[in-house]
Amino acid sequence: MNSFQMAWRSVIRKPVKSVLLFFVVLIISLFFLSGMASRNASIATQNKTKQAVGAGFLMEANEENKRDRADEILAKKTDGEEGNFDGVTVKKIKTEYGTSWQVSYDNSFQTLLIGDMEKIAAVSGISEYNLTTAVTAVNPVDFSRIEDDDVDQSSDLLCVSLIGNKDMALDANVLSGNVTIKDGRMITEEDANVCVISEELAEKNSLSVGNRIQFNDRRDVENSTVFAAEIVGIYTVQQKMTPVMAGDTFRSENIIFTDLGFPEKAEGSTSGALYEKAYFKVADVNQYDEIKKEIQKVDIGWERYDLIDNNGNIDKMSKNFNDLERVSEILVIVVAGASLIILFLVFVFWMKGRVQEIGILLALGTPKIKIFGQILLEAFLIATIAIFLSFMAAPAASKITASYLVQQQARQADEQSVIDEGKVAKSAEDSEETVTGVSVTVTPELMLYDWFGVALLVVISVGAAGILIARKNPKDIFSEIS
Amino acid sequence: MVLEVKNVNYAYKSQKGKEILKNVSMQFEEKKFYTIVGASGAGKTTFLSLLAGLDMPVKGTILYDGEDIQAKGLNYHRKHHVSLVFQNYNLIDYLTTEENVRLGGTKTPQDLLEKVNIPCEDWKRNVLQLSGGQQQRVAIARALASNAKVLLADEPTGNLDETTAGEIIELLKRTAHELGKCVIVVTHSKYLAAQADEIIMIKDGCIESVTELSD
Repeated sequence: MNSFQMAWRSVIRKPVKSVLLFFVVLIISLFFLSGMASRNASIATQNKTKQAVGAGFLMEANEENKRDRADEILAKKTDGEEGNFDGVTVKKIKTEYGTSWQVSYDNSFQTLLIGDMEKIAAVSGISEYNLTTAVTAVNPVDFSRIEDDDVDQSSDLLCVSLIGNKDMALDANVLSGNVTIKDGRMITEEDANVCVISEELAEKNSLSVGNRIQFNDRRDVENSTVFAAEIVGIYTVQQKMTPVMAGDTFRSENIIFTDLGFPEKAEGSTSGALYEKAYFKVADVNQYDEIKKEIQKVDIGWERYDLIDNNGNIDKMSKNFNDLERVSEILVIVVAGASLIILFLVFVFWMKGRVQEIGILLALGTPKIKIFGQILLEAFLIATIAIFLSFMAAPAASKITASYLVQQQARQADEQSVIDEGKVAKSAEDSEETVTGVSVTVTPELMLYDWFGVALLVVISVGAAGILIARKNPKDIFSEIS
Repeated sequence: MVLEVKNVNYAYKSQKGKEILKNVSMQFEEKKFYTIVGASGAGKTTFLSLLAGLDMPVKGTILYDGEDIQAKGLNYHRKHHVSLVFQNYNLIDYLTTEENVRLGGTKTPQDLLEKVNIPCEDWKRNVLQLSGGQQQRVAIARALASNAKVLLADEPTGNLDETTAGEIIELLKRTAHELGKCVIVVTHSKYLAAQADEIIMIKDGCIESVTELSD
């Protein structure tokens, strides 16, 4: 009888050991496939999410750099004098405790430099870009803002907030899906003196698209120039935008989107506009990483800026899914290690139970290598059936595993969000909610990897367990049997 | 002379050189039935193991048809020159009667099973379903299945009742005298020993005597 005939008979006629190995291999294979599929699923979701919120980069001013520049200016140019020095305003304040100095920055000092932003916008692969002004508090001249009747407004600025955009469709609030137009349209680059107001503000003041509303400088509401903006749209929000500061001035309903140039006029700025954020949209999400590298090569004063993946939200989301990828990889590694140990023990158990058979075959002149070949063949016969069965069960098992891992990641992200609450100013709710599930596919490639992986583990385990027997000569084996 | 043992010494590595066999020499011929007797621990089974190529002597040589059995390898020796029968039958538990005999090297196990008186209804049964005597006969059939000129048996009747043991002894004698093989049996049984053509007495690792018995 050849080895295959022997192996087949052993597999069929000694069902207990065969069934044991069958289930061990089935479980190992399922874990492998689930881990690998989850790893791939996590990457797919990450990319898909980038696309969904508009893959792009966010640019903000670096706060530390602002302080450094201000310190440098003050050290060089001031000599106990008051005044504005290259955008840094120094003011002497006399209090009952003595004199102190108040330092503030004007818009020209803080703003993102348009020249730098345009250089980045010119990078190949950037399809569009947007500039967003800082939230600007201005006085509402001919309309009423939304107020909380239960809150004393005496410490509030009694203003509304303006956010100017070059292209409102690329505003972070819009990209995240939180702000949508209920009536009218969004503001585009060609617009001037236009605004989009909240549905609550429109309702309270009986305003509609086509009406004009007026604003002026909050610091001189009586005498400053009044600027009017035409309402071109009315927006609604999924969840209220988080105020950048306390007070009803900054509450979600009182945020008014305008064209890019309007806030500086309405607030009566003498130092130009304050561009706080720039967003660069990537045309092809698949080139995201390459474009990032190209952007970083642009010759601008990078020390002034922070380049953030997408809207900050994405950065966090990517981190979560990178964690998922890492967890999936760890799962595969742990399964591989544990499987090796389990399979080794299973085969040691096999070998111990087959010492007599091995002795008989040796006595009949069968070489050791052929005997181990037969045992390996038996293992492969059982493993092949188990692996094929695992291929059928893998889609369901992978989905369960991936969902479980995603749930764990989401819970972890929620916990982190709670911890970060109050530390990070956000202009909108995180867009993580857009990720509702995970698509897991067990591809033929994964199956092939799985087959090779399990086969390799079986070979190593049989080899390692076989060494225990291979070291003995036939006489020792017969002594053991006796 | 089919098998010749020349000045063989054997010691277990684990027992710090304590010699089990000391300068043993012996010649075995075809068509003869040999029994090896001696007290427990005298070295009988070790001697048989060396003849079977299950282990190598520390010193000395074992020749098969005039050639050192290590020349072609012990596996080759076990496969082609000798066949073995054990006290505890040593049959493979997941094979049928026929399949166990086939392991010996024949493609027609039925003839051999008939020769050793195994009823044909048992040929396809799992070998463990047979009685002890039948299992030993299957083991002998497996040994006969190879073309080896030497059949080695270690206490082949040790687990059998007297009647069955007698049948097995007859079978071994026939194997030597009718099939022309050299049959060497290690035994404690005086009855079995007395059936041999030659009785080899081993004492303290040495061959104390070789007694030739006439019919």
